[in-house]
Parts: sequence; structure tokens; C-alpha cells
Amino acid sequence: MDALGIEWTLLLAQIVNFAILIVLLRMFLYQPVLNMLNARKERIAQSMKDAERVSAAAREAEQDKAKVLEQARREAQEIRAQATRDAEKIAQDVRGRAEQEATDIRMKSQADAAKQVELALADANKQIADLAILATEKLLGRELANKAEQQRFVAEFLAEPGSKGK
Amino acid sequence: MGKKIVDFLWGSTQRKIWTSLIVILMLASLVTKLVLPVPPPHVALSGEPIFSTGPQWFTNSVLTTIIVDIILLLLALLTRFGLKEVPSGLQNVMEAVVEALYGLAESVAGKNAAKFFPWVATIFLFVIVSNWSGLIPGVGSIGFYHPTEAHSEEAPAGESHGALLDGQLAMVGGSIILAAPENAQHAPVAAESEHGKFVPLFRAPSADLNVTFALAIATMVMVQIWGVRHLGGAYFRKFFNWSGPNAFMKGINAFVGILELISEFARIIAFGFRLFGNIFAGEIVLATMAFLFAFLLPIPFYALEVFVGFVQALVFMMLALVFFQMSTISHGSHDEHH
Repeated sequence: MDALGIEWTLLLAQIVNFAILIVLLRMFLYQPVLNMLNARKERIAQSMKDAERVSAAAREAEQDKAKVLEQARREAQEIRAQATRDAEKIAQDVRGRAEQEATDIRMKSQADAAKQVELALADANKQIADLAILATEKLLGRELANKAEQQRFVAEFLAEPGSKGK
Repeated sequence: MGKKIVDFLWGSTQRKIWTSLIVILMLASLVTKLVLPVPPPHVALSGEPIFSTGPQWFTNSVLTTIIVDIILLLLALLTRFGLKEVPSGLQNVMEAVVEALYGLAESVAGKNAAKFFPWVATIFLFVIVSNWSGLIPGVGSIGFYHPTEAHSEEAPAGESHGALLDGQLAMVGGSIILAAPENAQHAPVAAESEHGKFVPLFRAPSADLNVTFALAIATMVMVQIWGVRHLGGAYFRKFFNWSGPNAFMKGINAFVGILELISEFARIIAFGFRLFGNIFAGEIVLATMAFLFAFLLPIPFYALEVFVGFVQALVFMMLALVFFQMSTISHGSHDEHH
């Protein structure tokens, strides 16, 4: 042992030294560094999770946006279609009413015209009858005494076939 | 071919500088050897007391152990009190080291890693700093001359091999102690009588058997403690086991138990001498190379010793880890890890 330089006191001192070193290094190096490493690991994991969540949220928002856009587009289309339909209907209505009115006006004017013609004819007939009576009076040189008789006579005359009537 | 060589050695300004530097160093080595003879390396198997009149326990390896402790604690404290969430500089290095060691511990010990880690990491750090401390220029080469009389009084037992081992000087930086007498090489014994025994101020702790055996004993004691903690009294059944189906098997098991017991002690010796042998031999190699040819020649051996220092630290740590882990596993098949 002596030849190898082993001395029990030195050996013991070195063992104690080693033990002290373990305690101190554990206190000042291993635990703080390992704690720090773990804390950082957790933090990185946490931030990665957060990033994941944020990107998921972004993806969801994107999807929502697309959905909303799609919805809006569909609604717009619907509104447009509705508007087109309404416009067509209105146009049709207007056209129908206009036609109706036109028809009415035409009918009325026709009726008016017919009435006027009738009135004119009646007037003409009367004048003609008067003239005829006048002429006849002149011709006969006398006047039909009976006014009523006279008128009946003229009417008969006018009603005779071949004469002009209504 | 010849032109290529000339180009290689004298091609550019940089090449010229390197080549001249190498040649100058080689010539310097030769001149040193011829004009200022370097004494053969000082080889001492054990640490020696620094002060011939001072306390015997204060050897050069004790001093270097304290320095190694201070280095480690300084590193630890600097790391501890500069700890930031965003690491930089030293913290990066220490984190990398601690994490690598912890990963290693985890790969061997699994869930026991947290328990074993402080032990094995301290072994690794202490051993690697000790190993590399021997490579610092000046360690082993700076020292005192002790009066020979004092020396002979101090270690009479060492005298028997003193003629072979002791009393010579100059380690790695042989040129540093060129103050050595010119006739030292021719008559080292005379030099010794003239100047006394050379005692280096520093000595790598791992080149002292006290240190390596302290680590080995502490490790093997801890192996027993882990074993008892995990398996309780059943741990000792490994050593004292005479169960078996018949008398023959009982005998075999008892014998195996004895072998196990011996192997625990063998491990202490293996641990102690493996580290000591590697580092001590490395220092002698470096010293010898420096003695043979002071410049350039030691460089590759320095690289080798840096590597050996790392490997030995790793080996010590891994073996400790494996023994710790093995002790926690209840008795089954055992394979030797030597």
C-alpha cells in the first residue's frame, strides 16, 4: 500500500471531497439546470400547443368566412331572382292593365262612336222625315192634320223595306 | 513529384511560414537536446508532499484536487446564477453537458435515472476535469527541489525503487525547468544529491491512486446501498445463496455467491487501477515524448491523451451507472462487466 502511495487518511479525504462535490454540484448545477431544461421543455410544448390552437382557430375562422360568403352569395342570388320575378310580374301586370285599359278605351270609344252614329242616324232620320214630310206637304199641298198620324206615317215609311234604317 | 513536394512545403506565404516554423521547432528541439540537456522525466507513482517540512497529507494531488473542485464549483455557480430562460454562452455548454449526461443515465437506468444522476454526473465531471488537468502545461513540470535527506527520511519504503522511479525530473514541458543542471542527464543521481528530489507542485488527481480508489470505493458502496434500498434484505441473497433443488445446485449457488462477493471487491480494484493506469501512463508517455524531442512530437500524444481522458471519464461513469442499475434488479442471470 505504501509503495502505491495509498494512505487511508488521503483516501478518506478524497471520499469526503467527492461526497461534498456531489452535494454542491447537485445543489448548484444539476437541479437548477435540469429544472430549467424541464421548464423550457414545458414552455415550448405549451407554446406549440398554443400555436396549434391558434392555427386551428384561424382555419375555423377561414371556414366560417367561406360559409358566410357562400350564404351571402346564395341570398344575393335569391334576392336577385326574386327581384327579377317580381319585376317580371309587375311588368306583366302593367302590361295586362294597359291592355285592359286600352281595350276598355277602345270598347268605350267604339260604343261612343256607335252611339253617335246612331244619334246621327236618328237625327238624320228625323230630319229626313221632316224634310220628307215637308216635301210631301209641299207636294200634297196640305198638311196632315193629325200630327200623330203624320208621324206614324213617316215612321212606317222609314220602316219600309228598302228604306234606310238602323 | 519533387515539384509537388516543393509546392506543398513552399507554395504560398502561409506554407512558407508553417514550414519554417516547423523546421525551427525541430532544430530547437535538437539544440535543446544537445546544448541544454533535458533530464529524463520525473516519475513518481504516488502524490508527494509539496512541502518537505509541511504536513505529509498535503500532497500535490490534494492541491490539484482542490483546484479541480474549485473549477467545477465555479462553473456550477456561474451557471446557477446566470441561469436564464433564453440560454447563452456558458449556460448553453453546461445545459448541453447536463442534458447529454442525463440522457445517458436515462438510457441505462430508465426510471432510476433521477436517483443515480447526481452520482454519475459528478463522477464524470470530476474525472474528466481531473484527467485534463494533467494536460495543462506546468502540471507536473513546475515544482520544488526537496533536500534529499528529507526525502529519504520521508519515505524510506520508497527508496527501494527510488533508484528507478524517483529522483528524476522534468515532465512535459521539460524546457520549463531547464534550470536543471547541465550534467543532470549524465548523472541524475549526482543531480539529486546536489539539488535534492524534484517534487512537482501539481499532479492530476486521477494519477493518484488515493483519488481513483476513493471514487471506486464510493461507487461500490453506493451500489450496495442502492441494492438494499431497492431490494431490501433480498439484495444480499446474491452473495449468500444456498438454495437449490439438490445438494449439487446448492453447492454451485453458494460458490457463485462467493464469486459475486469477490467480484464486488474486484470491481473496486478494477475501477481504481483502470483510471489511474490510463492517466498515469498517459502522463509518462507525454513526458517521455517531450524528453525525446521537446517540440512537435508530443502534439499527437496530447490529442490522444485528451481523448483518453474523455473516454476514461465516460467509462467510469458508464460502469458506475451499469453497476447501480444492476444492483436494483433482483437476482437473476448476471453477466460480468469487466
